[in-house]
Amino acid sequence: MQGGTSVRLYGLEWPKESARISRVFDLLVAAILFLAVSGAFHLHYMLTAGDWDMWIDWKDRQWWVTLTPIMAITFPAALQYVFWTKFRLPIAATFAVVCLLFGQWINRYFGFHLWSYFPMSEVIPALLIPGALVLDIALLLTGNFLFTAMSGAFAFALLFYPTNWFWLAPYRLPVEVMGQLVSVGDYISYAFTRTALPEYIRLIERGTLRTFGGHSAIIASFFSAFVSILMYLAWWHIGMLLARVVTTPNTLKNFMGLTDKDEPAEAAQKAIDGTSLQGRSVAAE
Amino acid sequence: MRTFCFHESSCVRVVLSAAAAIMQIGILTFVPDAALAHGERNQEPFLRMRTAHFYDVKWSTNEIPVNGEIVVTGKFRLFPIWPVNLPLPEAAFLGNGTPGPVLARTESYINGVPAIQSTKLELNRDYEFKTVLKGRVPGYHHVHPMINVMGAGPLLGPGNWLTVTGNESDFKLSIKTLSGETIDNLETWGLGRVFFWHGLWVAIAIVWLVWWLRRPLLLPRFRALTEKGGDRSQLVTSTDRLFGAGLLVATILTVFFGFQATDTAYPRTVPLQGSRATVEPLPEVPEQVKVVVNKSNYDVPGRSLRMNVTLTNNGSSSAQLGEFLTSNQRFINHEVSQAMATVDPNYPKELLPPNGLKVSDSRPLKPGETKTVDIEAADAAWETERLSSLINDPDNTLGGLLFYYDEHGKRTISNVSGPMVPVFTDPDNRTAENPKGGAG
Ligand SMILES: [Cu+2]
Repeated sequence: MQGGTSVRLYGLEWPKESARISRVFDLLVAAILFLAVSGAFHLHYMLTAGDWDMWIDWKDRQWWVTLTPIMAITFPAALQYVFWTKFRLPIAATFAVVCLLFGQWINRYFGFHLWSYFPMSEVIPALLIPGALVLDIALLLTGNFLFTAMSGAFAFALLFYPTNWFWLAPYRLPVEVMGQLVSVGDYISYAFTRTALPEYIRLIERGTLRTFGGHSAIIASFFSAFVSILMYLAWWHIGMLLARVVTTPNTLKNFMGLTDKDEPAEAAQKAIDGTSLQGRSVAAE
Repeated sequence: MRTFCFHESSCVRVVLSAAAAIMQIGILTFVPDAALAHGERNQEPFLRMRTAHFYDVKWSTNEIPVNGEIVVTGKFRLFPIWPVNLPLPEAAFLGNGTPGPVLARTESYINGVPAIQSTKLELNRDYEFKTVLKGRVPGYHHVHPMINVMGAGPLLGPGNWLTVTGNESDFKLSIKTLSGETIDNLETWGLGRVFFWHGLWVAIAIVWLVWWLRRPLLLPRFRALTEKGGDRSQLVTSTDRLFGAGLLVATILTVFFGFQATDTAYPRTVPLQGSRATVEPLPEVPEQVKVVVNKSNYDVPGRSLRMNVTLTNNGSSSAQLGEFLTSNQRFINHEVSQAMATVDPNYPKELLPPNGLKVSDSRPLKPGETKTVDIEAADAAWETERLSSLINDPDNTLGGLLFYYDEHGKRTISNVSGPMVPVFTDPDNRTAENPKGGAG
């Protein structure tokens, strides 16, 4: 025991200075990761569930409910692999969807509202946080990705519609416009027009699910939940692949006369000789 | 005052949004493309000459205050020689081409049928439209009536500059719901619940994240997992599990009761409406004057379209050729007073080529008469509107409408279409710089 100069963290001894630097490192990584995940997840999400999430008149009870959880469970699953297996942190899903929501609100407020004049009521993003919390806690409590898939991923999709109904319901009140019945959401998007995104592009409960009457949201949720299990498993493995650190020797560095500090100059010269024989023979006068 | 138009400022917007995109690279948020979506001059000529031809377009006024109304009315015909590479208008939607929702659309109709839903349209038929727009964002805006056709994109009608004056914050679009609620302004309706619910869940998420982030995070945890002597039970403690389990139950209960409470608060809701409207075209009017294009040339240096056409009047009244309309450019025969009388003073000048239409024989065709005439539509618009790029098109066919008037001012319309042969040089030494010709 060195008294005041070291601390124990999770059973291991750390010099105080190292522990302090490691904490700074934590905060730096957290900040960088926050921006990186916001960007990458947002991009992925825009490209897959984009318009459904973007517009108040796209959030139907079938396609929106089915697609959003399936596309949104991707990054949480991949990050859960890394966060849990490398650090035992059950916060990946929550972290990912908070990042996503941050990116979305920035995008909707500055890009759509201020820059392109859309009212905020037309461009509200969906909320995924309750499902993500359940997904994280499922991993914490089971400690197993298969059980997490079957319980957490399932709940992630099932919770989606009820979570969002809380704020969405006012946009599904009936109004009469030009003698026709539409919802408030339909009318908002009709009034605040999108030049490049006409009405017919929307997919509003197309398909056989509609024959189930008013229950299409429930059926879509269950369907989405089953697919989400598969998506979760697939993306957990994608996370596994991406977590493998792959490095290649940097020969270019040697060509430029740069060597690692601890690398003897001779070894560096050898590296050059070994890798640039052809170059030398061509260059020989 | 903000002044934006697609064709005037699309470049500026592209550059600005590229800059914005670079600034946002860290969070990679998108600048929406609605405002950059098109510039009418960038649309291929075949799209503008052989799809929707808008005519009789009128704007009730050119200037309104915020909350004031502009009524845009007019007709359009879907050209029968529809480009082969475009899908037929199985689903079409009456839009308005604006730089973002600077005007709010409160009503729109095609042949009297509400156009809030899309509809199927028929080729070689005419439709009447009406759109009511309400001023929202002050500025000087270029606004077009427009038909979106599934698979073919936006087909733009004539654009006009509209001025909106006043204060954006005064804008209001109110409506009363069928279930009894009064919506004061649709722009802000429901946002209270949105902010509350989003804020609540973000707060809960932050509690969960901070619960874990407050302890030494990355390297200490990684070492504890991988090195001998690391104490894994400290990584995830039983307190953590208990807190997690509690939060799990609280989350599920909150969602469940939130859902129940919402259903109680809003017992009467309807799903999004996604049906198709049925619109009958205007009654078919037989084509009174049959047009046969014998030859058509586009004179590149002279910037003029010349056609040799044989016209046959199959009707019972006379017919005098008054106007050639293509790509929203109205070439009007100045010798025909009825045609000149159709020009609304509000009509945008840039869509009325000053030289109009030159017809070698402008005398009315008598009933039953057949006559071959040369017509010429010469204007810099062919270049500035980039219509001459038809030369580069694999389907080098032009299209437009010809308007005829009888002695009582009654109008009939014929389609005109034919291959366009470019003339790159001519004996008068004319060039694009020197269209008058002469020794150069
Ligand atoms: Cu324009």
